[in-house]
Amino acid sequence: MSKINNSAIRQGLIRCHDCGTLSQARQRRFCPLCGCRLHGRIPHSQQKTLALLIGSLALYVPANLFPIMTITKFGVGEPHTIIGGIIALANSDMVPIAALVLIASILVPLLKMLGLALLLLYVHLQWQGHARRWTRIYRVILFVGRWSMLDIFMISILVSLVDLGGVAQVIAGSAATAFAAVVVFTMFAAKSFDPRLLWDNQDYE
Amino acid sequence: MYEIQLDACPECDLLIHAGQPEVGEKAHCPRCGCLLHRPTQNSIERTLALSLTGLILLFPANLLPLVGIKLLGKDQDGTLWSGVSALFAENMWALAVLVFLSSMLFPAINIVLSLLISGHLYFRRFHPALPNWLRWLQHLGEWAMLEVYTLGIIVACVKLSSMAELHFGLGLCAFIALLLITGMLASNLDNPLFWRQIAQLNHEQNQ
Repeated sequence: MSKINNSAIRQGLIRCHDCGTLSQARQRRFCPLCGCRLHGRIPHSQQKTLALLIGSLALYVPANLFPIMTITKFGVGEPHTIIGGIIALANSDMVPIAALVLIASILVPLLKMLGLALLLLYVHLQWQGHARRWTRIYRVILFVGRWSMLDIFMISILVSLVDLGGVAQVIAGSAATAFAAVVVFTMFAAKSFDPRLLWDNQDYE
Repeated sequence: MYEIQLDACPECDLLIHAGQPEVGEKAHCPRCGCLLHRPTQNSIERTLALSLTGLILLFPANLLPLVGIKLLGKDQDGTLWSGVSALFAENMWALAVLVFLSSMLFPAINIVLSLLISGHLYFRRFHPALPNWLRWLQHLGEWAMLEVYTLGIIVACVKLSSMAELHFGLGLCAFIALLLITGMLASNLDNPLFWRQIAQLNHEQNQ
């Protein structure tokens, strides 16, 4: 499995995912301390990550095409897509906030999906070198994912506050569900990716 | 006692002779740079104190209004729950569930679990579910998103500031305090230490 001798799995040792206890792979199937099932690597890590990545890519399309919310003023509805909302913010001289939303709801999901795809390619094609850098990219992807929920929380607050019937109302759109699913799927995708796979095929120490 | 303890890096599986870093030091994996261990001073006591504070703050943060607006003469207050119920009322139940979990349920469970674990370790009481509690706490951590919610509040307020009069409730103070407490909880909870203590309690129990 692994070309490097100094990795735990080559020595027949498995580190528990949850509590970090080292166990002999041959002797135990369950961690002696926390009782969870022992796996040398996350089972089917690449397949799970790829499946969730494809799912989030597919959902990313409706998330950007359909309105994420509709602002009704005096009976006239004004649907906003994600990009439309950012442009509206930028037009009303709120450029820093517009930039924040742009980063959280466009750049982060896109770069995250691109990063996960590259990580999968790195493992699948057994690319050599820079494993440390790719591990760092993995860490960033893991950390940054939740911040995309910003838009969803903002909508939930707007929906609850602006509720004056036909006079003024904010209604969440179908893209909101799709976008939330993108965020959740990519979070799970990042969690199912096993960064140790990046190191398993390295030829050097 | 000179005990050489083997450890493996969680992110690259390198076998390491694990030393015990002192408080204020950090142990990084020499190969991939992953942060292995950063011990904190009095981790168990601090976790207990912080989670107790968090437990108290949960109530005002969840029950009192965070922000209110005055729109065309009508006052409307928003709590954490009203955001969830408004989404539910619009038939966006999947979103409502997601917002409920990440802004209300998971932060609360995190605090209760931290309290249960640190309480048991502080009084050195064994409980068969202790390992499970700590496992759940580790997995739920990233799904509690109070800090992201705070940004959501800020962006929503900026959007509303042009069309309505905003006022901030006492709940927002409690919410921000809760946010700080959860952040401090996460940085003070010394996972390897907690697991060692649990292993010790486990061992004592079995004797």
